[in-house]
Amino acid sequence: MEATIGGTDEAPPQNNFEREYARALSEYLLTGGEGPLEEAYELGRQSLTAGDGVLLMLQYHHNAMAAVLRGAPSLGDPLEVISKSCQFFAECMSPFEMTHRAIGDANIALHRLNETLEEEVRRIALALHDDAGQLMVAVHLSLDEATRDMPPDVQARMNGVKALLGLVEERIRDLSHELRPAMLDHLGLVPAVEFLAANFRQRTGLQITVESSLNGRLPPKFAIVFYRVIQEALTNVRRHAQATRVRIQIGRRGNWIRCQVTDNGVGFDPASAVNAGLPGLGLQGIRERMNVLGGKLRIQSAQGQGTKLEITAPLQQVDHADSDTPRRRPSGST
Amino acid sequence: MTIRSNQDILEARKKVRELATALEFPFIDRTLIASAISELGRNIVHHAEHGEISMRSDETLGATGIVITASDNGPRLRDVRATLPEGTSPAGTLGLGLPGVRRIMDEFEIVSRPRQGTTVTVKKWKPQ
Repeated sequence: MEATIGGTDEAPPQNNFEREYARALSEYLLTGGEGPLEEAYELGRQSLTAGDGVLLMLQYHHNAMAAVLRGAPSLGDPLEVISKSCQFFAECMSPFEMTHRAIGDANIALHRLNETLEEEVRRIALALHDDAGQLMVAVHLSLDEATRDMPPDVQARMNGVKALLGLVEERIRDLSHELRPAMLDHLGLVPAVEFLAANFRQRTGLQITVESSLNGRLPPKFAIVFYRVIQEALTNVRRHAQATRVRIQIGRRGNWIRCQVTDNGVGFDPASAVNAGLPGLGLQGIRERMNVLGGKLRIQSAQGQGTKLEITAPLQQVDHADSDTPRRRPSGST
Repeated sequence: MTIRSNQDILEARKKVRELATALEFPFIDRTLIASAISELGRNIVHHAEHGEISMRSDETLGATGIVITASDNGPRLRDVRATLPEGTSPAGTLGLGLPGVRRIMDEFEIVSRPRQGTTVTVKKWKPQ
């Protein structure tokens, strides 16, 4: 694209879309009427469906306007020309407005979905811990009773079975903790992360340190997102990084909560990884969770250089509640 | 007015813009109301052979609004639930079509009955 906004006087090369756009715009400026406005709407719709962005549309509009003015320099009152040009552009942008609003709604839906999932996970974690845990106790008691009067060799074999059952019980407890650490609800983010790190250390041999300068508790919705992101980051380190050390730092600067997870592993090229979708699903999940909080995700890494993942989010959060209701309506009407 | 073709949609847009201008709706709202006509009209032309679009002003509790009703007796049996959800067509994932109309207008109501077609009623209130 040769001519940019504020650019040269030369006529830029035009594609079909630009030609159509310029023709309709010129018609509107010269004769007015609904026809060209309807065309502008359809052109915008077509461009949106083709995946064009708003800035490209602005570029097209600018090019078309420049071409029209070159062809007909004296269109009359400049103020009226500007106002009609704006009207035309607004028609073209109207489909983009629909998409813009749809994204807002989609974010709210995502936010609610995350909450529902978290609630569901909490329910499953409780069911595992309480129901399955209780049943295991009952199984142990029944086994003890059943084997009491049996010959010693049978009892020895039964002890083997009981040892296995003990392992199952332990696994269920771990799963329940991983799903929804009760600690997060009772003690807050930092103790829950320390517990998570200890479990990871035990299972993987990774040396994990947790440093925090947080005072006080984060709001529960906030804490669970940070916890999940750290959990996801540790899982990524275990799967991909071949690291031996991980450092987790949590702190607060002004109204922003920040967490860094740094490892000494093999590193990766963040751009290519997201594009190739390698650890992408995890990163995408993290990004979406951060979006919900209005936060940011930053990844610094290079081959052989380790990886630093940083998330930051502002404590004040917009409340999305009740956005299903219409945006405006006279008070008292039905 | 009867909607059979893109030409009819254009006429409907012209009428609604005149109405919105007469009622002194602000510039952006006039554009959005015309867009609603385009999407409602497109829906009729694509999903039924023909339909009707009507528009009128509405005064409620001192507020001024525009009410647009789009109806068709589409021979194809349609399910309202299948009309609104998004994500199945390219236009759907972009939030165009009826979901788009719902978002750019203030009120939205859809009624669809087997063999009796579909009626969509939307309202836009003038900011006070």
